[in-house]
Formats: sequence, C-alpha cells, structure tokens
Amino acid sequence: MADAAPATAGTVAPSQPENPGFPPFKYETFPSQLFWLTITFAFLFVVLWRLAGPRIQSVIAARRDQINNDIRIADQFRKDAESASAAYETALAGARARAQKLAEENRKVIDDRINQAKANADADAQKSLAAAEAQIARMREEARVHVLRAAQDAAIEIVTRLIGAPVAETEAADAVRMTTER
Amino acid sequence: MAASPMEQFTIKPIIPLHLGGYDVSFTNQSLWMCIVVGGLSLFMAIAVWNRRLVPSRLQSMAEMSYEFVAGMLNMTSGEDGLKFFPFIFTIFLFILGSNFFGLIPGAYTATAQLCVTLALTMLVIFTVIVTGFIRHGLGFFKLFVIKAPLFIAVPMALLEFISFCARPMSLSMRLFANMLAGHTMLAVMAGFVVALAGAGGVLSALSIAPMLLIIGLAALEFLVAFLQAYVFAILSCIYLSEAIHLHDNH
Repeated sequence: MADAAPATAGTVAPSQPENPGFPPFKYETFPSQLFWLTITFAFLFVVLWRLAGPRIQSVIAARRDQINNDIRIADQFRKDAESASAAYETALAGARARAQKLAEENRKVIDDRINQAKANADADAQKSLAAAEAQIARMREEARVHVLRAAQDAAIEIVTRLIGAPVAETEAADAVRMTTER
Repeated sequence: MAASPMEQFTIKPIIPLHLGGYDVSFTNQSLWMCIVVGGLSLFMAIAVWNRRLVPSRLQSMAEMSYEFVAGMLNMTSGEDGLKFFPFIFTIFLFILGSNFFGLIPGAYTATAQLCVTLALTMLVIFTVIVTGFIRHGLGFFKLFVIKAPLFIAVPMALLEFISFCARPMSLSMRLFANMLAGHTMLAVMAGFVVALAGAGGVLSALSIAPMLLIIGLAALEFLVAFLQAYVFAILSCIYLSEAIHLHDNH
C-alpha cells in the first residue's frame, strides 16, 4: 500500500490519505500507539499506585477502624446495660424474698396471737361453765333439801293431825327418806 | 467514503513526532488516551482529596472501584495476590476509562486497537510468567501438569500448554473485537439514519427505526464497556493467581 500511495497521492491523498486497509492492522501506527500507551499507562499506574491507592486504602481502613471501634463501644454499653439489668433483677428478687419472709413472719405472729386469744377465751368459757354447773348443782341440792324438809314438816303435821301424837323429826325424816328412795 | 464505519478507527497524527527512527506522532488516539488517564487521575485526585470518613459521591465511587478490584483479586488469588493490586487496578481503570470515554460521540476508543489490547495482554502475560518463575523457579512448569495417569497427563500437558499460549490472543482479541464491533455497529446504524433521512418521503420517516436501535445499542455498549473491562481484569487476576498458586487451590 505504501508503494501504491505516492502514485495517486496527488488527487486522492487529501480526502483519504491512509484509508486503504483496516485501521487496526496498520502497522505503521504501532510505534506511536505503543509509545503513548506506555506513557499514559505508566502515568496512571503511578497515580493509582502512589497516590490514589494508598489514600483510598487509608480512608477505608480508617472507616473500618472507626466502625469496629463504635461497635466495640456499643458492645461495651450493651454489656453494661445487661449487667445493670441483671443487678436490678437480683435486687428485685432479694427484695421480693425479704418481703415474703416478713409477711410470713407477720402471719405467724398474728396466728400465734389469735391462737393465744382463742385459747384464753376457751379457758374463760370453760371456767364460767364449770362455775355455772357448780352453782346449778348446789342450787339443786339446796332445792332437794328444802323439798325434803317441806315433806318432813308436812308428814309431821299430817300425822299430828291424824293421830294427835307427836312425831319426832328423825322419824319423819326416815319416813320421808324411805318413801323417796324407794 | 467519509461515512465508512471503519473511519472512526483511523489514527490521525496531530503533532508529528519522531524518535529513534520511529514515528511516535501524537495522534487522536494518544490524545484520547491522555484524556482518559487525565480524567481518571483527576477523578481520583478529587475523589480522595479530603479523605472523608463519610464519603462524598465521588469518593464513594473511587472506593467502590477500589473495593471491586480488591475483592476480585482477593477472590481469585487470596492475600498473596494483593501485591498486584496497583497493576490490576490500573488495567481495569484504563480499559474501563477507554471504553467509556470511547462511547462519547467523536471520541477515539483506544481499546478498539489490537495493538493496545495486545500490549496490555502481553504486559499481563509477561507479569504472569515472571511471577511464576520467581515464585516457583522451574516448578512453574507444573502449571501444565495435572494429577492423572501418565497417558492422560501427557496429552493434557500439551493441551494446557496450547491453552496457555492461546491466552494472549484470546484476551486481547476479546476486548479489541468487542470494542471494534460495537462501535462499527453504532456507526453502521448511524449511517442508515443519515441515508434514510436523506432519501426523502416515507424513507425519511423510517429513519426513526435505526435511531431507536442506536439508543438500544448504545445502552448495550455501556454494558459491554464495563463487562469487557471486568472480564479482562478478572482473567488477568486468574492468570496471576495460577502463577502464584499453580494448581494448588483450583
């Protein structure tokens, strides 16, 4: 192609100077391509290697550290909160147990007092009952004596009226006893 | 002839320059490579200027690209591979930048030149070979050996060797051809638009069809631009990983 070009260069060159041929396979452009590729690639490599890479890495690392640190602190707070909560639970349980114990003791004391009072009242009632029963027995005895005496007097009066003879009190008493014990 | 879809790949000298008998003129391609690299450097410089703990959008993008490449390298070759981070990072960003900047209408796509992609590939392969020999000496040849009976291992070694030798070609061709084909397709479609619009009548109205197609293709090209940069970078990582670990962890 290079040989053919000069022959027609006069007329065709301005509009299509290097058109014949597939552009990617035009070897005469390769030195320039490689030269500028090397320069630009090397420049970008140095920029990324020395400048951008380390800076990005440092900022990512700093952020990761910050995040890890924050997570650690938050973790610490959580643990503190958990231990505080546990302490509260323990205190609550202790207080509850103490309250239960106090209530139990109180109830026992009250029960004791009630039992005591009941026992006292029972004893008083028993005493009153016994006294009343004794009173009743005594009164019954007195009444019986009075009845016997009345019967005896009546027997003496009756015999005296019937036969006009005096009756000794002992005889009358025997007679009454005989009658009542029969 | 001006509307040839291949014309966009023509390299035109801007400042003629000769060095040691070679024509190293500053061309439209050189210009765009400078723009890409300058743009990337500027982007990086601005992005990480303040090193804020809560990143700005730019800084976030820079960090994302960093972590993307670091993750890629870490995934393929582990801690040992992080030494090569600046290299892979540069390759990835250079290709990504070239591909994306190339999508600007009128821009020159440096990666649509086989020379550029082949040079990048050779750089990778060279790094792989040098790393391999430095790390393992002649043991690097174990890369071609698999644990199998001899009658399988020998032909497999041959295949592995051929595959190793084919890598530079496949790696450079993949990127080059993708960029070339994409841009050619866009140019062809654009040519249709112009031709139809100029034809007059109903055909002019029809020119909307290739126009819509161009929009779709341009979106696809954005995907391809990223994907090819990613593919190139991750294959480089994998090749490097093989050189570092041989077949130990694969």
